Amino acid sequence: MKTGDDKSDSQSWPKAYSLALSLFAVEVVLLYLFTLRFS
Amino acid sequence: MNRLDYLVLVATILAIPLYGLWRTRGTASLGQYLKGDASIRWATIGLSVLATQAGPITFLSMPGQAYESGIGFIQNYFGQPLALIVVCVVFVPIYQRLKVYTAYQYLGKRFDRKTQLLGAFLFLVQRGIAAGITIYAPAIVLSALLGWRLNLTIWLAGGLVIIYTVIGGTKIVSITQRYQMIVILVGMAIAFAVAVYRLSPDLSFESTLSVAGKMGKLEAVSFSIDPHKRYTFWSGLIGGFFLALSYFGADQSQVQRYLAGGSLKESRLGLLFNAAVKVPLQFFILLLGAIVFMFYQFEKPPVYFNQPAYQRALENGYAPELTALQTQFDDVFGQKRAAIRAVVTASSNERDAAINKLRELDAQAHALRDRTKTVLAQAGVDPKSKESDYVFITFILQQMPHGVVGLLIAVILCATMSATAATLNALGSTTAIDFYRPLIRPHASDHHYVVAAKALTAAWGLIAIGVASFASLVENLIEAGNILGSVFYGSILGLFLAAFFIRRATGSAVFFAALFAQALVFILFATTNIGYLWYNFIGCAAVLVLAPVLQKTIFRGAQSPAGA
Repeated sequence: MKTGDDKSDSQSWPKAYSLALSLFAVEVVLLYLFTLRFS
Repeated sequence: MNRLDYLVLVATILAIPLYGLWRTRGTASLGQYLKGDASIRWATIGLSVLATQAGPITFLSMPGQAYESGIGFIQNYFGQPLALIVVCVVFVPIYQRLKVYTAYQYLGKRFDRKTQLLGAFLFLVQRGIAAGITIYAPAIVLSALLGWRLNLTIWLAGGLVIIYTVIGGTKIVSITQRYQMIVILVGMAIAFAVAVYRLSPDLSFESTLSVAGKMGKLEAVSFSIDPHKRYTFWSGLIGGFFLALSYFGADQSQVQRYLAGGSLKESRLGLLFNAAVKVPLQFFILLLGAIVFMFYQFEKPPVYFNQPAYQRALENGYAPELTALQTQFDDVFGQKRAAIRAVVTASSNERDAAINKLRELDAQAHALRDRTKTVLAQAGVDPKSKESDYVFITFILQQMPHGVVGLLIAVILCATMSATAATLNALGSTTAIDFYRPLIRPHASDHHYVVAAKALTAAWGLIAIGVASFASLVENLIEAGNILGSVFYGSILGLFLAAFFIRRATGSAVFFAALFAQALVFILFATTNIGYLWYNFIGCAAVLVLAPVLQKTIFRGAQSPAGA
């Protein structure tokens, strides 16, 4: 199993995590809007 | 179910393991057996992680949960994306760097043998019972509704899983989970489409959702700070974070899934895939339950969904009481249907009154169902699972076209097999690597440990079937699994976080802190009524607070092993 990732990979991970966090924030906002619209 | 359904069912549940056995033929070394090989890519890891977590309970119970109490359960997953990112940043690189087979080996390297064994032991106890519930949960419902013998259903689902998991190890678990998850996603998408199609033509989809919301089924997010409210944004975000962090970071059934990746990158991508899709996926499953609820506002539902239990009560001499309740229920159902139309057509002035009337009628229907349950209890009928677990399967059997029925029963069995396979794989690996190898045969060959891991996987499979054969559930199936996890996960997570973040902590301080934390959680569970997700936080916090205190007092001067 390869254990290391190359330099470009390690630089891109913070962007990947930010993207995942942003996506989650959007999901929560959409669910909240859904709640406001239908409850 | 007709012949087409059985054909689809049998073909689906047999084809995937057979394909997996063909793909993994010749697997030999301990590394390959316990970790798969480098050919496993992020998509397979992602689906495998998703399938391990989902299990049959997600697809059987969750729509019923939404039918009964709305979609607020979605909030329990709010901590998961955050936890998965922490796992990617902290846990995965350490496991990959140390080349461990199990998460608990890390505790042994960082602290000492007894702390490794404590972590592994807590995992084995919790997962050993959970594996039994995973097999039992769908078996009790399918056997009741399809007339299959309970023990035969348990042995069919459990036996097949044991055979292919023992033979193929981690790689076959990952490969079969990938295709089982695809079947599950396709099946649930079809179920969703059919459920929407079967809704009353009298209402638009938007009006249907609007009415469901007015009836309290669509509150996805609640910012309430009441600690007794089971599902809130805060309990989901905080408690759910600790539950997910422990589950993905320290539960071998998940750790083994992402360590099967070809590289750190594949493992991380597989986990981030889950961070992105989990909340939307659970939302659609819960929404499906709310749609089934709306379907049964126009199509008369049974007063009690567990019909075999209801029939037994009728036969036990309780027909007069039950018939009277059924008549009242039918009457309320008719009024409720009219009230829904009134809500939709009401002017803005009349709308509040119409909504109140509808809610009042819904409460009456609920009360009649509760009285029916009381009569069933008096009749000596004691169903071993909650009635809401029968809602979705009843909808499938009565409303879906033939072929789709077989596919959806296959979905439930695929989910059972995929979750059970991951669990047995992890139980066998942990027992072999954390107990058997260091304590019983420290210097045997790789081949010896492969045989031992296979034998131990089979043994855990038989234990899971044993637990399933004698299980009787105390709560809703989802809740049983989550409560069990929450009771143990906090202290397990505390062990790992202490290892990562308390540099001066030694094995003895952390070991006794974890024992105390576990005892504390048991006491709170037995004596209080707080939301179960908080146990994850409490158990973990107790370890992290106590370990430094014990370190500075009782275990002052003790040293951590170097280099861990």
